[in-house]
Amino acid sequence: MDEDVLTTLKILIIGESGVGKSSLLLRFTDDTFDPELAATIGVDFKVKTISVDGNKAKLAIWDTAGQERFRTLTPSYYRGAQGVILVYDVTRRDTFAKLDNWLNELETYCTRNDLVKMLVGNKIDKENREMDRNEGLKFARKHSMLFIEASAKTCDGVQCAFEELVEKIIQTPGLWESETSSRGVRLTDQEAGRSGGSCGGYCSLV
Amino acid sequence: MEASDRSALVSEDGKNSKSVQCGRCGSTVLSAGAAQFAERQLFLPSMQKKTSLGGAGHKGDGDGDLLTDHWLVEDMYTFENVGFTKDVGNIKYLICADCEIGPIGWHCLEDKKSFYVALDRVKHV
Repeated sequence: MDEDVLTTLKILIIGESGVGKSSLLLRFTDDTFDPELAATIGVDFKVKTISVDGNKAKLAIWDTAGQERFRTLTPSYYRGAQGVILVYDVTRRDTFAKLDNWLNELETYCTRNDLVKMLVGNKIDKENREMDRNEGLKFARKHSMLFIEASAKTCDGVQCAFEELVEKIIQTPGLWESETSSRGVRLTDQEAGRSGGSCGGYCSLV
Repeated sequence: MEASDRSALVSEDGKNSKSVQCGRCGSTVLSAGAAQFAERQLFLPSMQKKTSLGGAGHKGDGDGDLLTDHWLVEDMYTFENVGFTKDVGNIKYLICADCEIGPIGWHCLEDKKSFYVALDRVKHV
């Protein structure tokens, strides 16, 4: 492993089915962009390297890969996560309304309460928008989340989102310092329930 | 693979002398010097979009390649960027993290310290 890798982080992407979670993880060029990306089956997780302030962080990013449709997300999926990206579709108000459920689930299963959260309003390139940007921002602020709006075609924004999330995690030392000694394949069984220190503040990237 | 090709890619200590990239989108999979050259015969299904991976037919009909030359790493965090498919039996295939083409490699769940990337499925830059 490279000497200059600062830390490894577990990041989850959650949200209702069809909001475009998986597409946030793709690099879009004309020949790979598939607007009908229904096939979330297949990919389990990804390792990605990201540079933040000159430091490399390695991310293990877990997408729910369609399991959310069947409500089969297990506690182990959430265990040890340091960052969460909550995604809704700006053209479907119902996906926004479900965010509270997702937050409840996070609260129930996540082993940390200083988890860094980012809200992503996705599919802003579509015309039939139902959700105003301010509604997203307000919700994010209320729940101390970072916030961006994005679309599959604005991959720069998505890249920024990951960087911002990682930066925020790195600024929350309790979230990652204890991990550096036990870095490895194991992505679970990390220490449980730190008290206090929940991340405040939100920011808007767009 | 020809011996001459191989010597251009494998350094004296058996590491990858060049960085390993996705042949389609150029995403960096492994930095130079990160992996060890290893020979092991592994079957990889033909390169295709993820929608077909693990789907009907890939097991029995032999639609794929038996590949011998691989880059081997012990820790998944050695990768710069890589994706893992869901389990197909006790195998996870490795795919490009950015465009999801694959399989470019192979990981057996019974050997947690071995991740193989086939030299023929990636480019070296």
